[in-house]
Amino acid sequence: MNSSEVARLWKSRFGIPEKAFAGYRFFRKAQSVWMISASDLPNLSYEALGMRIMNLKDRPWKPTTCALQILGKHATKNLVHLNESQAMTFLEGKSLPVDTNLEPGYVVVLYREEVLGCGLYSRGIVISQLPKERRMTSCS
Amino acid sequence: MERYKDIIPNFEAFKAVLHRPLFNCCRINTLKIERARLLERLDEKGIGWRIFDWYPFGLKLDVQSPGKLLENLLGYIHIQEELSMLPPLLLDPQPGEVVLDLCASPGSKTTQISQMMNNQGLVIANEPSLARVSPLRSNCERLGALNVAITRYDGRNFPRGSFDRVLVDAPCTSEGRERRGRGTIARSNRKRSLDLQKLQIGLLKNATRLAKPKGVVIYSTCTYAPEENELVVEKVLDDARLERISISGLKDCPGITEWSGETMKGDLSKCARYYPHINDTGGFFVAKLIKN
Ligand SMILES: C[S@@+](CC[C@H](N)C(=O)[O-])C[C@H]1O[C@@H](n2cnc3c(N)ncnc32)[C@H](O)[C@@H]1O
Repeated sequence: MNSSEVARLWKSRFGIPEKAFAGYRFFRKAQSVWMISASDLPNLSYEALGMRIMNLKDRPWKPTTCALQILGKHATKNLVHLNESQAMTFLEGKSLPVDTNLEPGYVVVLYREEVLGCGLYSRGIVISQLPKERRMTSCS
Repeated sequence: MERYKDIIPNFEAFKAVLHRPLFNCCRINTLKIERARLLERLDEKGIGWRIFDWYPFGLKLDVQSPGKLLENLLGYIHIQEELSMLPPLLLDPQPGEVVLDLCASPGSKTTQISQMMNNQGLVIANEPSLARVSPLRSNCERLGALNVAITRYDGRNFPRGSFDRVLVDAPCTSEGRERRGRGTIARSNRKRSLDLQKLQIGLLKNATRLAKPKGVVIYSTCTYAPEENELVVEKVLDDARLERISISGLKDCPGITEWSGETMKGDLSKCARYYPHINDTGGFFVAKLIKN
């Protein structure tokens, strides 16, 4: 998969400029896209190349949390800013009501200008998409 | 353990310190956060920290479960033993180079190498065990390492390459981890060391073959057994030379040159041994080799 195809998808959903994707190579394996710093890859048999950034299986396509933590800082739309208690709920992997008008779909979730990860927004609710091992365990 | 009585200086102090648990340590991941900003965050949370005397990105943390910190979940820090940060420092990878980490999982050193290269160039992280590939991948993703490709060869047969630098952080009897959990020293013995030695020699020989001429090869273990350390390094001295190790702020002891009544060839005293009672750390061994 070439860089401009990937960049086009991220631009249309999150407004991330194409230049954020310069200097990387992209590989598609099954329904996943992987991103790795551009350099010559020696002729070896690889198990994984760089970071898995998106899954094309779902409609719409789904960004990974780890990719949003890198690329999400360049996003200009479909962002959700949380307050402290909302951020805790999100980090525990739960859903939370938010008061914004967004297009339904995947969103960049932030707290104090820092990207926490990926959420799924629809009808006033953000559902945390944090992978299990990246969640905070609640104290109760 | 008594078999080390004559090689470990101040043996009684060594035995005594094994009962004292280690500090929790972490590395600041500058791929995701600036060092000053991370320290500020810890201060805001009232978490006590102390920077290592020898490495500005290593911290001792005064906290019970550092793995649960948000900073860890977001990949701003990585929980890593103090001396585990030493081999990458000696490897000294530069942005744009091609580096091989032959025994990579769970990727503490892989991701540190990636950080030192500022995500530029390529790190091949090799790990044969399928079960251990997923923690390696997960750490690379959490920490934002974007120049890492993972392979799954038996390191002894990793096929080809001409690497600027190669790290062999070999499987070993882990005696140096005693302060993390009692019993590793008791379970260790000469027979187990000799079994591992065959694998370690195979790994280091192949690593030396895979380095380009004048390339750097680092061999490290977290064990004291000379069978797994100097006696492994000795086997590649026809193809590489040892370089003396000296890190300001961290006291090392010279590699040993005689064991079980036999004198080893080459200047193995250039290897470095680290003992828990000397720097208040775990135990560690490192050799720095320059390929001919
Ligand atoms: C000491 S651990 C490496 C720790 C790692 N470098 C880090 O800093 O996170 C040794 C690793 O070598 C792997 N290993 C075992 N046999 C191997 C072989 N034949 N070739 C390469 N690696 C091997 C083990 O599965 C284990 O993950």
